[in-house]
Amino acid sequence: MSLERPDTADDGAVERTPDELEALLGDLVVDRDDHLNAPGFVIRPDTVQETLSILKEQAGYDHLSLVTAQEYENRYESIYHLKKFDDPTQEVSIVVPADKDTPVSESAEPVFRTADWHEREAYDLMGVEYDDHPDLRRILLPETWQGHPLSMDYDQERPQIASLPEHANPLQEHHKDAESDTMFLNIGPHHPATHGVLHLKTVLDGEQVVDVEPDIGYLHRCEEQMAQNGTYRHQIMPYPDRWDYISAGLLNEFAYARAAEDLADIEVPEYAQVIRTMGAEMSRIAAHMLALATFALDINGDFTATFMYAINDRERVQNLLEDLTGQRLMFNYFRLGGVVWDLPEPREEFFSKTRDFLDQLPESIEEYHNLITSNEIFQMRTIDTGVLPPEVAKNYGATGPVARGSGVDYDLRRDDPYGYYDELDWDVVTEDGCDNFSRLLVRMREVEESAKIIEQCVDLLEDWPEDERNIQANVPRTLRPDDDTEIYRAVEGAKGELGIYIRSDGTDKPARFKIRSPCFSNLQTLPEMANGEYIPDVVAALGSLDIVLGEVDR
Amino acid sequence: MGTAPAQLFPEFLVDTFGLPGVLGEVVASLIGAAVVANIILAFSGVAGPWAKRKITAAFTDRIAVDRIGPFGLLIIPASAVQLLAKELIIPEGVDRPTWDIAPILLPASAMLGFSVIPMGQIGPLNIHLADPEVGLALVFAFASIASVSLVMAGYASNNKYSLLGGLRAVAQNLAYEIPLIVTAMSVVIFAGTLQISGVVGAQTETLATVAGFDIPAWFAFVNPFAFVLFLTANLAEIGRNPFDIPEAPTEIVGGYQTEYSSAYFVLFYLGEFVHIFLGGAILSVVFLGGASGPGPESISFIWFVVKVWGFFLFTQWARAAIPRVRIDQLIEIGWKGMLVLSFANLVLTAVIVGVIA
Repeated sequence: MSLERPDTADDGAVERTPDELEALLGDLVVDRDDHLNAPGFVIRPDTVQETLSILKEQAGYDHLSLVTAQEYENRYESIYHLKKFDDPTQEVSIVVPADKDTPVSESAEPVFRTADWHEREAYDLMGVEYDDHPDLRRILLPETWQGHPLSMDYDQERPQIASLPEHANPLQEHHKDAESDTMFLNIGPHHPATHGVLHLKTVLDGEQVVDVEPDIGYLHRCEEQMAQNGTYRHQIMPYPDRWDYISAGLLNEFAYARAAEDLADIEVPEYAQVIRTMGAEMSRIAAHMLALATFALDINGDFTATFMYAINDRERVQNLLEDLTGQRLMFNYFRLGGVVWDLPEPREEFFSKTRDFLDQLPESIEEYHNLITSNEIFQMRTIDTGVLPPEVAKNYGATGPVARGSGVDYDLRRDDPYGYYDELDWDVVTEDGCDNFSRLLVRMREVEESAKIIEQCVDLLEDWPEDERNIQANVPRTLRPDDDTEIYRAVEGAKGELGIYIRSDGTDKPARFKIRSPCFSNLQTLPEMANGEYIPDVVAALGSLDIVLGEVDR
Repeated sequence: MGTAPAQLFPEFLVDTFGLPGVLGEVVASLIGAAVVANIILAFSGVAGPWAKRKITAAFTDRIAVDRIGPFGLLIIPASAVQLLAKELIIPEGVDRPTWDIAPILLPASAMLGFSVIPMGQIGPLNIHLADPEVGLALVFAFASIASVSLVMAGYASNNKYSLLGGLRAVAQNLAYEIPLIVTAMSVVIFAGTLQISGVVGAQTETLATVAGFDIPAWFAFVNPFAFVLFLTANLAEIGRNPFDIPEAPTEIVGGYQTEYSSAYFVLFYLGEFVHIFLGGAILSVVFLGGASGPGPESISFIWFVVKVWGFFLFTQWARAAIPRVRIDQLIEIGWKGMLVLSFANLVLTAVIVGVIA
């Protein structure tokens, strides 16, 4: 079957038992704190770099998926969720407790570049300080913010206003230096190419970019906090729709559904999994169509026909999703243990509409290839610009089409199967160009793969016996997972690895709910791609990253 | 065809109304200029708020304006009122006289170019204001004033995006104006004159007869290679895709026009449209036989309109379909490609003309 991953006779992929890992780490391990998804080792806060280096270099854990910080009654804790790009089912959690009064632990940034932003976020929201971090500043909240909002002693009732003069206002500094001949330029937060409210602090030398630093947080909506205030059973599911709101809603819901179902040990009926898988892939097509459309906008300029054509195709899949879920963007269609309702009646009509869409899709893709990818000017603009070598991509924890465009063969749908993906016949798309063009090609080819998946799902659903159409497992009205159970689960979202960490405390609400946003990690690679290139290439690189600020900032 | 060029417009007015002396000539010239300017303004008025929307919509599977008036045509007065009624925002720190002059200079310079363009005849009326001996050089001179306006706007706006746009405009115009003019020179070698009536007159003969149809000796048919070069350079000259980099909204917001609003913004837009039409007019004069076409001479204005609007349509098509090149790529195409090709074309033309003549 095509889902078999090519043989990698790499030492790193050798699976080690938790005990072997403990032996490998030796004295570094202070205690064990296993999570549902992975063995967990507690280490001392000053041995983070040493531990992670050993795991990265000797055991092959080369993917720092997420850094979660949380506060207990008696301590702070940072969890480093490690995986392997070769086999993401091999996971390990490194738990780093920090002192309650002065929470300081060593930074992982020298080992994994991606820890830079993740630790800044942990510092910003939780207040854990990281020694040896190159640039420990707030990342989501304004510089002048008082306190750390997710910590226990934070006064949530007290309003805070970060006024423009108080806040680090880039407009006030002139950034002029008599010596240098560079120019500082603010791109965004209101700029046609930033795809939302993103601010790029750019230093230019003529038209060339010397340095670019993304400044995020303009769309921070406390999604983690809100999820922690909701009950597992019903109140959290609407939020994922609002992370990556570019119609990728069902993919996001899949992330929460997977994490919470594994946490509460809920078995989902096969029929519901097929519906979920089909809906999720429809969302993926819609999301990739928008990525294609806006990328054409970035390269061609406004008034390009490609933009409207792609939006048109997105509209068709949007109509299908509307028929299925009753909503156009904020679907709220998944439930823990299944989906909210069955396919729309009459089923035949829905199936034939879906098939019509799938039949027409190759023609559309052909047209996009004619319009953009085979255009010489387009190739001139995108090939060999915004280059992201695979090693750099891995170091930054880049996933999704961004990683696959750099030849990193990593797709959780195949490598860490969930839903109904492992029963279906489809391929993981990779391109070796590492440039803007490859990332676009990956998305375009993934649309075709998604269409294959949807087609197989439709075939299955059409023949499903009527008395076995079980859309919902038997789930208790109130879910109370066991006290102090921890889980980290990820799915392949539209932009990459969308993960959720949940710690339960025995109540019906999560004690800690942490989102691993693929866009957050992917955006971090922008300086690597853009430095030394021209302004239009920065815009192209940003477009090819396909970020959604709702997911970056959460 | 082949008849002596009709009287120029101001002379026609002097003769028809019997205006006496120098004063009469001045009055006639002013009236003529006003008529020509209004034709161009009417073109731009239709193109900006209405035709451009409709054309873009047709390319992108949309409907565009259709709510007010037949085919949404009343959007033209509505847009005019709306745009002029907006507040003129003057940012802090702009370089005042320069910032105000730039938006006036752009449409004015493009409009000046039309003074030497023969726009064809309506009945006995020949819409052609002046026909100096250096007409072709003059029209390029007028057209290139536009880049001065863009630099002024970019520099005076006190905005970094504007500055980048202004710099890009200079770089682009330097890279493209030379090939543009050198290519036009090859036509001058054919025609043997810089006078525009002479250039047009040289294209009236029949090149070949195919199946009973006379193909006129338009320079586009005589030297298609030069025509393509000129067309490409012309797109860069008027700043349209794939060469719209001085504006490049997705990169540098709006370039030199970022800080302009209200009437000044309208003036810039007007200037751009007039410039596109001037580009089309130059193209038709130099390569497409001026205002000539099938049918009697007295309706040749229609052919002029068709050619100019054809070029406008072409720019909109390019805009909908072709990606934008990067500034360094543009400079490279201009200096390393177009310049070499245009000189090769010039030398080759000179040799061929020399051998034949």
